Amino acid sequence: MKELDLLKKDWQKTQSQFKEVSENEIYSMIHKKSSSVVKWILIVSIIEFVVLNGIGLFLSDDFTKKFTELHPYLNIFEKVNYLIVLGFIYLFYRNYKSISVVDSSKRLIEAILNTRKIVNIYIIWNIAIGSFFGVFGAIDGFTAAYSKNNSLKAHIEPVTMAISVAVSLLIIIPIIWVFYKLVYGWLLRNLSKNYEELKKINLEN
Amino acid sequence: MEQQFVSLLKENQNLIHKVCRLYTCTEDTHKDLFQEITIQLWKAYPKFRGEAKFSTWAYRVALNTAITLYRKDVKQVKTTEYEKCSFFISQEEYNPEEEEQLKLMYKAIHQLNDIEKALVFMYLEDKDYTEIAETLGISEVNARVKMNRIKGKLKKILNP
Repeated sequence: MKELDLLKKDWQKTQSQFKEVSENEIYSMIHKKSSSVVKWILIVSIIEFVVLNGIGLFLSDDFTKKFTELHPYLNIFEKVNYLIVLGFIYLFYRNYKSISVVDSSKRLIEAILNTRKIVNIYIIWNIAIGSFFGVFGAIDGFTAAYSKNNSLKAHIEPVTMAISVAVSLLIIIPIIWVFYKLVYGWLLRNLSKNYEELKKINLEN
Repeated sequence: MEQQFVSLLKENQNLIHKVCRLYTCTEDTHKDLFQEITIQLWKAYPKFRGEAKFSTWAYRVALNTAITLYRKDVKQVKTTEYEKCSFFISQEEYNPEEEEQLKLMYKAIHQLNDIEKALVFMYLEDKDYTEIAETLGISEVNARVKMNRIKGKLKKILNP
């Protein structure tokens, strides 16, 4: 087939017409997956911050008003918490920036481990904060409930209160934990898979 | 190991470019496929023991990626879209008849299915049937038979 032979000749002459891909571009190609996971961690954390606080703004009903009146220092604490969460978001951003420019799998492994560590600290922090506010909420709630049912006995036994609060925490903590595991666990799992692959490659080095 | 891979890939990148050229139509899809092949090569690299030449191994991975993985993600090019394909022929001086023939051939090849493209690719790369068979994982006889069928198909496309 003479057309095919003509094509073959031409095919071999077009070698130099491709845009050359540089080594740096190749590096970033093989690391793209991890950087996209880290990018998602950043995006999800921002969405979470906006959505959860957005809900908080809409829910400022009587209970929350009374709650802040009862515990004015908690209000300040909440503001501090905002700053801390923003700090985490900044750390996620820095992770993302650093992972997009890494040029070796060793440094990528470090970046992945670092990201995982920060996400885990972030989850623990959120559980701690949730429990902290939960304790105050539970105490207020139970005080109100007890005094309604038993108007004579406004004062509750400390033991009863302690047990009630402990039970509420046993409910609150798993809920928060499951929430964060669902939101970030999936992303972290993808990142871990990548990490295992990278480790294999580095071990055989 | 990573450095070794990156420099090997850089040296052999023309091979990937050529696979992309055969399987994609636009600059964007070319880049996408190039990246996908690079990722697949990198993933498979620990298994590459240097028994074969890097290029022989890369042919196999690149074509496999183009045939299987890529097809899942990207809608296959519709016949009408061939018109939009930018075919470039080398900057050689051809007579008008030859140039027309070349353009028609490039267009015809884009209409082949993915497996047929792989065979044509190896043929254009001037590989013998032993290597074609080995790379594509078929028997030598099968490769010959397939190639003859493809030639027939191309003739039909050129002279309907």
